[in-house]
Amino acid sequence: MAFLALKTLSRKEGTTSAILAVALLVAILASMSSIVNHINSQTEALSRIPEIGEAYLILSNNSTSITDSQVDVNLANLVSDSDVKYVIPQKVFAATLATNSSNHTAVVRAVVDVQTFFNVRNARVKGDIANANEMQANVGEILARLASINVGDKVSVNVGDKALKVKIVGIIQTQTQSDAELIIPMKLANHLFRNDDKVSLIEFAPKDPNMKDEVINHVTKLLPPNTKIIKVQQLKTFMQNVNNQTLSFLSLWSTIVYIVVIAASYVLATRLIAESSYDLAMLRALGAKKMLTFKLILTYTATTALLGSILGLALGIAGSQMASTAVRWMWPSFEISPFLEVGQALQILLLTFSSSIVGCVYPAFKSACKTYVEKQPL
Amino acid sequence: MTLRDFKYLRNQRILTLALILTLASTLFSITAFSLLGFYRGFNAYLGEGKDIVAIYEKRSHSPFTGVVPMHLTEQVRPINGVLASSPEVIAPCILKSEPIFIRGIVPEEFSKLNPLAIVKGHMLELTDINSAIVGRGLAERLSLDLGNKVLVLGVLADRYMELQVKGIYESQSTMEDEALVPVYVGQWLRGIDYGHVTLIRVKINEDQLSSSDLLNVIAKESSEPAQTSPSEEEGKQAEGIIPVVKTSLSLEDIGVEEAQRFMRSYLDRYGVTKETLLILSIMVFVFASASVAAASTTLIQQHKHEIGVLRSLGASNKSIRKDLLAKLLFWSLAASAAGITLATATLTTIDRSGYLQVLSHRILFQLEPLIVALNFILVSLLVATTITRSSLKH
Repeated sequence: MAFLALKTLSRKEGTTSAILAVALLVAILASMSSIVNHINSQTEALSRIPEIGEAYLILSNNSTSITDSQVDVNLANLVSDSDVKYVIPQKVFAATLATNSSNHTAVVRAVVDVQTFFNVRNARVKGDIANANEMQANVGEILARLASINVGDKVSVNVGDKALKVKIVGIIQTQTQSDAELIIPMKLANHLFRNDDKVSLIEFAPKDPNMKDEVINHVTKLLPPNTKIIKVQQLKTFMQNVNNQTLSFLSLWSTIVYIVVIAASYVLATRLIAESSYDLAMLRALGAKKMLTFKLILTYTATTALLGSILGLALGIAGSQMASTAVRWMWPSFEISPFLEVGQALQILLLTFSSSIVGCVYPAFKSACKTYVEKQPL
Repeated sequence: MTLRDFKYLRNQRILTLALILTLASTLFSITAFSLLGFYRGFNAYLGEGKDIVAIYEKRSHSPFTGVVPMHLTEQVRPINGVLASSPEVIAPCILKSEPIFIRGIVPEEFSKLNPLAIVKGHMLELTDINSAIVGRGLAERLSLDLGNKVLVLGVLADRYMELQVKGIYESQSTMEDEALVPVYVGQWLRGIDYGHVTLIRVKINEDQLSSSDLLNVIAKESSEPAQTSPSEEEGKQAEGIIPVVKTSLSLEDIGVEEAQRFMRSYLDRYGVTKETLLILSIMVFVFASASVAAASTTLIQQHKHEIGVLRSLGASNKSIRKDLLAKLLFWSLAASAAGITLATATLTTIDRSGYLQVLSHRILFQLEPLIVALNFILVSLLVATTITRSSLKH
């Protein structure tokens, strides 16, 4: 009896328009998702561009910046045993630089091997490279201009109550932050601090870029838990985050569409009940239980939603493809290839189906609760 | 026979139609407001006035990735009619694991184009080597406060640096989601030399100068013998802090255009115009309208007995339709207004939370009269069409 009743309900005039109503809503979702997929695939393609930089930093786990980080300098020896191009432990701190004419607060970077550091930074040096044994330092070009420091000048580096007098032997240009720093050998920096075994960071780069994942995994295993490794150039993270922003918009927008699906489903169930009042009343007169009426309306709406979703997916995918082809004809340089992944299609199908069930439960329940007399048309 | 006094429509049933109309209207409004908000925000990114002109690289794929010689800044500055020229480097970066845009500027020149209201701390100076001022939106999003030291990681270059927050500013534009640093810091993070910037914004006196005049001056420069890097002509620029690197200039690579038009041209390349976004929003409404049509038909189905009684009393189909229209149009307009209100409330809440972003900039939505009018028109048309086309026969 249930099957026959369902057949009768599905032959009602409004079934086609009900399927179409759901289909069009799903089509909007499918086409919008496929366009967003295209945009995201473009940004992902950008993030796959080989990154020029291969530098990594080892910092202390609880640090939010460089100057508040402290890591064991001996970790550098552990890292250097791996397949790395270079390892540079660095101590970075703020100091007051006193020259003959003025005082300036600046960042001082202490490195063990100044030459290697300059090589990594592709530095151009006007003058010589600082030698630890002769209390020498190099100054970045911007800091030199700002503080009027020249080669041959003597600068006093003051940190708290400790001071160190160095001679400027060269001015460097690196196109990095070091252009605004004083670069000194680590040996000199240790005169200013008690903790010789601590540095702010350890910078390193894997020798073979193709093997970087293996190297990073190996280094990670060597490090104590209070340290972290950070990749310097973050192209991939940036692109992924930007994609997530677009997806957040799509999620919000989709939520509203699903709310419309719930409302549409409510309307469709109400319409079915209004159109089939005679049939439902007859069913009850023939002895159908309340639950059967409820199940019938639920099944009808679920079937309509499922068919509508499938049709909507097809419409959405085909529509966005046709629109993109038309756009390519009009603007040949404009490349757009919308696509929908199987997982996304299934998700849309499932969410539409669930939304439809939610929307039809109340009218179905209300109709099931009505007595034969209440259902009977006038 | 007038049906105005016959109250045969049940409010509860009308409410279902009103609900679905409200939702369709909300969907249309949210789509249109957010898409147009993004479009407007993107266009106004470099300034809205016709007196702001951008000097940019024509071949770049985005407004953030081009490079132009920085020495053009000095070259256009003395021209009669130029009020300010601001070299700017836009560097995408990662801060606290979040994507942000850092803009390298010459504060004095930048302030002539975009006066910033410092709400906390101090204004940036060119000599602030390791400092940044951050927009209020960004500060709220990343919980940044005055004096905070943060590690900034490069995206387009293998660079990292520590910056200290010197001030927090307010700008009532998309710039609120950015951080400002001295131009050379921007160059480090963007990975370009001291001779180049992303673009130069020029404020002109429209009565004295046009963008084409500016281009002519640049053309004159390009016709002179080129001096290439690294054989630079060292000089003093921007208070003598930034090393000057004079670079070769290829005129066909340089564009000079009104800033807003320049930004619009990037969207135009991808077929994104105000019209296409409006059509897209209308399409969304049209697709949702099948549900509205179903709701209208359902309403008539639910009142078929009442309509039958009216017909038996002598009311014609035409008069019933007229009466239905008159009664439902009011509800439609109310539902439409409710939809707009709901959309505005939703977008305002989301905007305040900073959840909705495109390219790390918040979508600044605005109540557009055109969208509001379109909403009312579309909803009324839809209801009118479905009522007039529906069958009233029992």
